[in-house]
Amino acid sequence: MPRSSAASKTKPPRTLAQQADRHALYERAVQDPEGDVKFFARTYRKIRGHDPVSMREDFCGTAALCAAWARSSPERIALGVDLSQDTMNWGIEHHLVPAGREVASRVTLLCEDVREVKRPKVDLTCALNFSYYCFKQRADLLDYFRAVYAGLNRDGVFLLDMLGGTEAIIEGTTDNDHTDFIYRWEQAKFDAFSHDFLCYIHFLFPDGSKIYRAYTYDWRLWMAPELRDLLLEAGFSKVHFYWEKTDTKGEGTGVFYEPDYVENQEIWWTYLAAER
Amino acid sequence: MPKKPADKTTTTKTAKKPTAKKPTAKKPTANKKPGKKPTAKKAARPTLAQRADKHALYQTSVQSPGVDIEFFEAEFEKYRGRKPLRMREDFCGTALLSTEWCKTDPQRTALGVDLDAATLEWGRAHNLEPAGPDVARRVKLAQADVRETRFAKVDLTLAMNFSYCVFQTRDELQAYFNAAHAGLIRDGVLALEVYGGTESMSAMEEERPVRGGATYIWEQEKFSPIDHHTVCHISWRFRDDSVLERAFTYDWRLWTLPELRELLLAAGFKAVKFYFERVDGDEDDEYLTGTGDFIEHTEIDNQEAWLAYVVALK
Repeated sequence: MPRSSAASKTKPPRTLAQQADRHALYERAVQDPEGDVKFFARTYRKIRGHDPVSMREDFCGTAALCAAWARSSPERIALGVDLSQDTMNWGIEHHLVPAGREVASRVTLLCEDVREVKRPKVDLTCALNFSYYCFKQRADLLDYFRAVYAGLNRDGVFLLDMLGGTEAIIEGTTDNDHTDFIYRWEQAKFDAFSHDFLCYIHFLFPDGSKIYRAYTYDWRLWMAPELRDLLLEAGFSKVHFYWEKTDTKGEGTGVFYEPDYVENQEIWWTYLAAER
Repeated sequence: MPKKPADKTTTTKTAKKPTAKKPTAKKPTANKKPGKKPTAKKAARPTLAQRADKHALYQTSVQSPGVDIEFFEAEFEKYRGRKPLRMREDFCGTALLSTEWCKTDPQRTALGVDLDAATLEWGRAHNLEPAGPDVARRVKLAQADVRETRFAKVDLTLAMNFSYCVFQTRDELQAYFNAAHAGLIRDGVLALEVYGGTESMSAMEEERPVRGGATYIWEQEKFSPIDHHTVCHISWRFRDDSVLERAFTYDWRLWTLPELRELLLAAGFKAVKFYFERVDGDEDDEYLTGTGDFIEHTEIDNQEAWLAYVVALK
């Protein structure tokens, strides 16, 4: 990051935090677009019996998933919607341009409110990383789900992820070490009255520098039955709840199934699919 | 470890916090299943479990009507400027709360509503009759669905012990809240209890001694994070090690505070207030006397286990 020349003589060497790119760190820490593409396509195929072609990524940010979707098959097209043009520009530079003109031509990015976009209709809409938690009022989330419903083809499917477990509803901090940085997830506040949920992502570096509050989330933590109720109310005909299979050590395997009953766990992150 | 105040009367001005009642210690009578027979040898002397009366145990183990009455009449007076006289007890079971209500004031009347005729009958014999004809005359019991709206309107409706959790869909619970709203006079008040916290969302079991030497066992057999469906049981173990196993079973949806608030507002209530009490601390304090404050919260950190009163103003 260039600094003004006035201070440059006395300035200490740039820290790792100063050199870091928070979008790149975010993608490494929390995203797995290739895995999502595979899971989405498999889930859609299972529900509908054919392959999805068009995918819409709401709250797309850097549109990493859009890029992965378009790269995964030459007929696939993607629409990314986000309120931040800056973040999408970062995605154009880091994902679409490197992917080449052909792939980039199959990705459209729209700087708009996700509740306002109803065309073009798509096979699959996804809302990941809990971004829809920004809608704290039931009526607002219902509006959003209705917009998603309206924007889907007749046999469309809506995929969203959610966070839960007994440790999701309390304050706490989790660190993940990525060797060259630590990703820190902080649940700063959970209010049992409203389910208001204030969270931060921090990045910490080996030289002791950090990007404090690189991302701030002012959310409502929606519970699974609330989401199911809202999706059905928005018009979706069926809601599937997936659960990740664990190995003998209790570690996630990346394989998801639909359980009839599962015991609650301390923390879980999973997908819902809603059939139009 | 007294979990409930020994409330004989509500005339005292000493505050008794609802802390005393474990949230996990409650049940609705409307949905109860018959208890399993105690396991004991036929020829042997009857065990304590065999001789136990589950309704009596329930009342001593988990109910504290005096605490409820004192709190809700103060709430009512705070918002309405007068004493509530007509009270309706939904999911009343043995109608202990209705009986105590009428004991507190000769002008007071109560309507107890429950689906279970046998439990109502037990209440007539064990609560109403011993209270004397004047009190018994002022308590009406109706074997009916709580969504029934044909009854005379009341000042205050109380639905204690999480019983409304038998309504497991939003539509069903909305219908109940709509009916409760309709059953109140113009400025009536509905009050409920709710429990929550991280422990409420897991399978677990806990025990505590209760008056008379028995051990009360609360068992959360199941909690599903998918739909918040929970199956819970109450059992008692006695000094002779006999067990009255799963005397009460509850098949519930554990509703969360924002859901309750949304549904109550949708039913037409103008304001919804929550009063929290932490239940995992202060276990040695029987009365927590002093302030008499039940703090209204608009924001609260989550805890392992909490109990809240919900007050909805028409």
